[in-house]
Amino acid sequence: MVPTEYYIALSAIIFTIGALGVLTRRSAIMIFLSVELMLNAANLALVAYARHWSIAGAAVALSGQAAVFIILAIAAAEVAVGLGILVAIFRYRNSSDVDSLAGIKL
Amino acid sequence: MIVGAVGVITLKQPVHAALSLVGTLLTLATVYVGLEAHFLASIQVIVYAGAIMVLFLFVIMLLNVQQDPGPGAFTWIRPLAYTLAGLVGIALLVAVTSDPRPLPDAAVIQSTMDGGSPSAIGTALFSDFVLAFQLVGVLLLTGIIGAVSLVERKAASHAPDASTPQEQPLETVGS
Repeated sequence: MVPTEYYIALSAIIFTIGALGVLTRRSAIMIFLSVELMLNAANLALVAYARHWSIAGAAVALSGQAAVFIILAIAAAEVAVGLGILVAIFRYRNSSDVDSLAGIKL
Repeated sequence: MIVGAVGVITLKQPVHAALSLVGTLLTLATVYVGLEAHFLASIQVIVYAGAIMVLFLFVIMLLNVQQDPGPGAFTWIRPLAYTLAGLVGIALLVAVTSDPRPLPDAAVIQSTMDGGSPSAIGTALFSDFVLAFQLVGVLLLTGIIGAVSLVERKAASHAPDASTPQEQPLETVGS
């Protein structure tokens, strides 16, 4: 079976790519996509460690997968609200450039 | 999968980047199958590659987002970001490969994880994670209300208020 380290390395690479995307892109939608990438990298690490700790019993091992399930639900809610905010901002500013939102006050 | 992830952050057209992310998520679902998480793999395909990405594509097409305008006010941030990403990536790779620990036997993994079946995950979800599960329900309800009130035209003046109640249940779930 593939060792856990390989999966964690893959997760680290994907997370770094996502963070790079957040830092370098200016469009808010692209930043959202990169954040999704980072969330999925974290999920992959959780699932890999869930398999790694299966020697500790089903309760410990499956808690990792249950956490991933909850993270999926939170990601769905986050995307819905974030895209709602994005649509609201776009309606006023007619641009999705995050630099143009520097002076915004909530 | 890494190619898809790189495509997400390098492709200029948002639609292309979103489709690249779909490919990445589907590949991740196959990786989940290899990790004895069959239920999560199907959920990944249905929820992420299905629902969330359709929402993304809808918004991209609704807003008619143009190409990424390129570096703007913060021109210094790109080389800094690339350098930082290289350093962090190397550090993470060294960290995760320097201390290899053996996996348990395949038979132990098979019997314990039960292939990540829905019943096994459901048992964990409704015993140890009941509170988190309930709070996720509250969070989803708040998210729906917030999103609808944000997008609704007449309620535009209430938009800042609608986003703030998100903070509370999110933090509780995280802890």
